[in-house]
Amino acid sequence: MKINKKAYINNFHAISSAGNSAEELFESICEKKDCISIDNTYVKDREVAIGKIKNDKSFKELLKEGCKKVLDESSLDDYSDTLLIVGSSVGGMGVTESVYFKDKSYENIDYKEHTIDSIAYNLKKEFTFYDDVSFSTACTSSANALGYAKEVLLKGIYKNVLVVGADSLCSTTVCGFAALSVLSSKPCTPFDKNREGMNVSEAIAILLLQDEKTENSVELCGVGYSSDSHHMTQPHPDGLGARNAIENALSDASITFEQVDYINAHGTGTIANDNSEANAVASLFTNKPYLGSTKSFTGHTLGAAGAIEAIISVMCLQKQIVVPCKNLETPNRDDISFTNEALPCDLNYVVSNSFAFGGNNTSLVFGKCNEN
Amino acid sequence: MKINLEILSATHLVADEEIGDLRTKELVPKMVFRRRLTRAAKLVVEAVDKVGFENGRIVYGSAFGELKASANILSAILNDQMISPTDFQNSVYNTAVSYLSILKNNKNEILTISSGDKTAEKILKVGAIKALDGDEILLLASETMNIENIEQINKCIDTLENVVALKVRVTEEKANINILNENNSKYPESISQMIEIAKNYDENKQNVIEIQI
Repeated sequence: MKINKKAYINNFHAISSAGNSAEELFESICEKKDCISIDNTYVKDREVAIGKIKNDKSFKELLKEGCKKVLDESSLDDYSDTLLIVGSSVGGMGVTESVYFKDKSYENIDYKEHTIDSIAYNLKKEFTFYDDVSFSTACTSSANALGYAKEVLLKGIYKNVLVVGADSLCSTTVCGFAALSVLSSKPCTPFDKNREGMNVSEAIAILLLQDEKTENSVELCGVGYSSDSHHMTQPHPDGLGARNAIENALSDASITFEQVDYINAHGTGTIANDNSEANAVASLFTNKPYLGSTKSFTGHTLGAAGAIEAIISVMCLQKQIVVPCKNLETPNRDDISFTNEALPCDLNYVVSNSFAFGGNNTSLVFGKCNEN
Repeated sequence: MKINLEILSATHLVADEEIGDLRTKELVPKMVFRRRLTRAAKLVVEAVDKVGFENGRIVYGSAFGELKASANILSAILNDQMISPTDFQNSVYNTAVSYLSILKNNKNEILTISSGDKTAEKILKVGAIKALDGDEILLLASETMNIENIEQINKCIDTLENVVALKVRVTEEKANINILNENNSKYPESISQMIEIAKNYDENKQNVIEIQI
């Protein structure tokens, strides 16, 4: 069921290792700043590179301030007629860890601060929303939140949707990925022959989607989902699930492969993920649009990745710039186009990929809004 | 806005500690795969078999996710031990339905919701909105809380293992099952609403619920 509506991204805000605003994020990427830091506190006897937010305020405060900023810059007086959709993989695990590691007991854990829902729970103390829902599909969580936002706008169920992708650093994720032997000791270099692995990171990404466009809107014009049904942590080596998600997204957007100008890759920097995604992209896009991973700046922000990479994709369209890869010295593919410099281009459509544990895949298509 | 859903099939399983008589060995013949399944994954496989859902879109939910895997990870970190890679891969909230998708070769959209005590309500709403597209959708929820020392935090839930499945599609028919908004049951509040719907399901008549969006 579709009625004749569209989903426009009208306002957004981002906080990550690459900056305390969306503008800082985009500038960090275009200027190829070093945003990933080396840490020796999370993993015993080992240094790992992580993406840490550089701000004295707490994650909760930054989250509330971010939603306030988006509200202030929007056409809305408040969020009372807005659906809140949260995408998170970690939720309140960091809070749980601090209590459990201190007490060595579950006794003083507040379950409302532990779950994925803790993000919505805290935001609802500050703002009144019409309704809310939280998605947790690991690293596709906020990409799926954006997909659902488009769905409810196009079906005419809501006029305003606030998507919040948020995940903070915690021992569970950093040590967990270390246990899988996929962490890099240096800033990640997706699609490079000499890559070491990924960087676990934290971020908050907030987007207001509405069914009416405003000045500088970008349209979320396609969403594609798929399941690999292959393996819990390894994507299909040929990228079959990724292919299905991208094909479904382009079909939903009613555009052809040749119309895509830039692909913001999931590109974690692990061999399995990069090869699978590269195989999918190379087999679908014979026109070789630019492919790049911005995780070399933000790190892998897990449940927030889909939303923060959506913001980067939107800004590429607004500024008509293809953003560069960082430290990609020896690309391991010659059938894919990469750029190591920010390139001014005519951009009409950008695809953003998100893939997750369990073979959960989501691709989003963003389109430049024409005057009419 | 309201959307009416016909419940085409429903099942629920609950137990104070552990749901018995699972047919996991029969339903998941490959031992290597079966051994990796979390408790929630085993319950989900069982429930899906009972409602006869093979392939299609799934909206799954759990407020607390994979508690055992998370507890094992926390304990390992606290005690300076190595984290089990299997525990980590099994700790994400979409673990149960991911194993299900591998088992059933289901390549469709599979969403996982975690909205605290309102998880069931949100599964029903999201499921109803998705069902407007006309397909049959599986609504699925589980809570598996039977872990060591759970009594330190659980003061009110009697049933530590719970799973519920509703196979639905949109209908124009009038609702004939009331949805309770208050939780007066012994089940986890997060999914009790769906368990109550499953309990009221009568396979000898048409079963319709009204979802207020």
